[in-house]
Amino acid sequence: MPPSSTNQPVPAVVTGVQLMQGIGHAPAKGFWADAWSSVLKRPGAVAGLCWITVVAFFAIFSPVLASGHPIMLTTPEGRTTWPMLAALTAVDWYLLAVGLSVPAAYFAGPAAGRAARIRWLLGGLVVAGISVVIASLLRGSLDSRTPPAWLLPTRNSEVGGLMVGGAVAVLVGGVFAALPFASKLVRRLTAVVFAVVVAAGAVHLGWDRPSIERFDYVRQEAAGAKASYSVVPFSPSQRFSELSRVAPGTQLGPSQNLPAEHPAHDRSFVLGTDAFGADVLSQMLHACRLSISIGLVSTGIALLIGVTLGAIMGYFGGWVDLLLYRVVEIFMAVPVLFLLIVAAAVLPPELRTTYTMMAIIGCFTWTGMARFTRAEFLKLRNQDFVQSARSVGLPLRSVLFKHMLPNGVAPVLVDTSFAIASAITVEAVLSYLNLGPIDQASWGKLLASAVSSEGEFKWWLAVFPGIAIFLTVLSYNLVGEALRDAIDPKLKKARV
Amino acid sequence: MTTYLLRRLLLMIPTLIGITFLVFMIVASAPGGIGAAVLAQAGGAMTANSGVAQQRAYLEDRYGLSDPVIFQYFRWLGRISPVKLGSQAQQLPSGEVIRTPRPIPQPPLATWYSQGLPTLPKVEAAAIKDLSEEDRVRMYRRLERQYIEGRFNTVARITEFRSQLTVYARERGLEAGVNPDGTPIVEFFQNLQPDRSSTEWVVLEAKGKAVLEAYTAGLAAQAELAGFFDQRPFEGYGVALLPGVLSIAWPDFGTAFSSGRPVMDLIPPAMATTLTLNLVAIPIIYMVAIPSGILAAVRRGSLFDVGIGSVYIALYSFPVVLAGVLAIGFLANQQYLGWFPVAGLHANEASQMRFLPAYGEGGQWERGWLVDMLWHMGLPVMCLVYTGFAVLSKQTRAAMLENFNADYVRTAKAKGVSNKDVIFKHVFRNSLIPLITIFVTVFPGMLAGSVVVERIFTIPGMGSLMIEAINNRDFEVILANTVMIAVVNLVALLVADILYALADPRVAYS
Repeated sequence: MPPSSTNQPVPAVVTGVQLMQGIGHAPAKGFWADAWSSVLKRPGAVAGLCWITVVAFFAIFSPVLASGHPIMLTTPEGRTTWPMLAALTAVDWYLLAVGLSVPAAYFAGPAAGRAARIRWLLGGLVVAGISVVIASLLRGSLDSRTPPAWLLPTRNSEVGGLMVGGAVAVLVGGVFAALPFASKLVRRLTAVVFAVVVAAGAVHLGWDRPSIERFDYVRQEAAGAKASYSVVPFSPSQRFSELSRVAPGTQLGPSQNLPAEHPAHDRSFVLGTDAFGADVLSQMLHACRLSISIGLVSTGIALLIGVTLGAIMGYFGGWVDLLLYRVVEIFMAVPVLFLLIVAAAVLPPELRTTYTMMAIIGCFTWTGMARFTRAEFLKLRNQDFVQSARSVGLPLRSVLFKHMLPNGVAPVLVDTSFAIASAITVEAVLSYLNLGPIDQASWGKLLASAVSSEGEFKWWLAVFPGIAIFLTVLSYNLVGEALRDAIDPKLKKARV
Repeated sequence: MTTYLLRRLLLMIPTLIGITFLVFMIVASAPGGIGAAVLAQAGGAMTANSGVAQQRAYLEDRYGLSDPVIFQYFRWLGRISPVKLGSQAQQLPSGEVIRTPRPIPQPPLATWYSQGLPTLPKVEAAAIKDLSEEDRVRMYRRLERQYIEGRFNTVARITEFRSQLTVYARERGLEAGVNPDGTPIVEFFQNLQPDRSSTEWVVLEAKGKAVLEAYTAGLAAQAELAGFFDQRPFEGYGVALLPGVLSIAWPDFGTAFSSGRPVMDLIPPAMATTLTLNLVAIPIIYMVAIPSGILAAVRRGSLFDVGIGSVYIALYSFPVVLAGVLAIGFLANQQYLGWFPVAGLHANEASQMRFLPAYGEGGQWERGWLVDMLWHMGLPVMCLVYTGFAVLSKQTRAAMLENFNADYVRTAKAKGVSNKDVIFKHVFRNSLIPLITIFVTVFPGMLAGSVVVERIFTIPGMGSLMIEAINNRDFEVILANTVMIAVVNLVALLVADILYALADPRVAYS
């Protein structure tokens, strides 16, 4: 349809002739943009997206908002230190960079180039993220009992963090730049440079963090230092064994026989404490990060495995399909939770980190996506455009990923939102059973403290984390429903 | 129809084998493999008589811990499969299953310190015909203890020899024969001659001789035990189809570490409890979800439809963990409402109760056993059913709406069939088919939910068994439990497939 050639205002009622002339015709959006605006029309999905944004906000800023380290500490001699910033890890710095750069890229600059800008930024941030994670693992190995010899020089050097972060980012970025994405090479290279800067900076800032946190500021305050704390002045790892399961809002003081030097003196726990005496509010804020990261990364891994296997099964058919579908059936035959419980239980405690949990959950929940992709590819295999691509002689990877995949991926992406919701639920169950990541605050872990071994029930340990889990899962389900109704109007399920 | 059934049953077998493979690989891929937990608990030195050594010997015998993982898997599969190859196992009166003893591990580098390895000696067959059963068991236990000691001593001496070999190699400068972690590569030394003039050689030879001694003793013990076993002092285990080659028997899931009881004793009561819970939950789900789905479809777009749709999305998003904790906290606890009992499936005095409620002496109304169990099951079942409501109700509604647009409905209405008859006689029956297939997704979810619910409400079912086994690092129970859950799941899926084939004849002939 030719765009409206005249600059007349669009009349209220458009006749058929005018439509043919191109007046009153809204410019067509792309498929995904159209689906997205349908999603945004539903109040439930919008509410869900708002809640997810809130959780993401806390995921990014929780180490700054809830920390037992004071923001600024001034000794009596006048020396100022910044303990909270010194205690931030490389991943914390990276997430702060993400949290500040994405809104900046969204709002600064013209609306026209917004999508391209965000894509460029996200590409660079993904590369930086992977590099920061790898660098953190390397840093963690330096603290273990058998540090690798080739890394030892970086531990005490001033620029150790810069070197490690930069080197890893260059490697990961090199792989990323070599992949044939849709954008130009120059653009990919600038994204990689950006990623190297971000990764090196984040790793450098988090390099000198001590592996065991100490909270001995009360002693310094008693000696005359001045400390100013953040909004929630407790860290999730700060445990006060004498303050186990304290009700929310109790003003601490003489009634608990706390000495005046106790860090919690004169403060109150807004949402109470759990069985170990750690503050519930700070744990809940830090747990937002776990839920977002488990949701996204596990589902990403499951998507990768499921779509690849489903594409292979659907495209080749025959023997390959027969064999691989038995594998899918095997995974479907055992309830996934049992497999996850067994897998989490056989891991030794030093391996039960967030990253391993993400990998495990991703590796066991890919079957639904494989089945969807397989069904789509079985249908697409006989379409004309696929037949012509093959007859022209295009390589297999091009036919699969450039031609068939963009057309067959819609139901899988609808399923993604539901998969994120179920990954969050599964992680909550695992944490409840004490099989979740160690040393990481989690909503499920708080639920486990709710009913004590004597049978006493403390409501604040069940209601607050429970509301958080419920609202998060509900949000993802609402968004998923809206997305499904927008993308698959002709699906067998009838719409409202 | 029968061919369809047969085909489905036959397809279950490779799926089952695949499941066992997957589960075993997950457990065996733990660092250290199957025996890791036992050794981790050992801590200090192991003596031949300590319980840890017994466990290690048990694991060695059952899994062959030094063999590659794939051999361990096949050995375990052979134990748990109902079809057994090879000579038949025997069963002690206590229920334990015994097999012919495995060979003692051979000493490495035998050419260095001996002329030749001794072979299995021939033992005289002990007269067992006149012995009573108790005496036979006692004799077996004595021979078994001898065998375990002999095996343990041989393994210990071999370990000492190997560490001495490392010392020898390092003194001689033969670093190429030593692994980075300090163990020697025996094949490296196979073709070399020992340097008999060096001082390290004297020590090495002494250790080698010790190995030989232990090995001879071990062989003797093995021969005696094997001879005793071959005389078949106890009943055969299972039914021999082809003697010496093929037999069928109950799967041997082994002995649980923590309680010492055979796993086959632990699983049936737990399974019965879990199945009771789930089988009570299924009719409830269908009875609530189908009417609400029909009503929502008939009154599409009304307040009821939109309202119940929102309620169901909220229910679907509510994790079972949270529901269980809130239920036990607010509804079961004496602090708050206390309407329901807190733990277990039966009250403490349940065994003395009558089955049905009645008025007892003194006019007191007595809860019978049945009502008591239903009262205890109330909260757990409630936690299991609400997720199923959402899924099933939406599916019913969608299927009915799809059928409303079909031609035959339009014809029926045009013919003048009443609305009620159109809905219940035509549309509903055709909408039933997707409900059967949806069972395939609901049931595994309920089994998984059982784990959490049983843990929260302290119900001794399969989920509880699993959690306890995980906390005790009891691999036998973990493996057996997972396999049994998978079997239950597969049977449920098979039943759903059969019902589907009955409901929709097109399926059986495709």
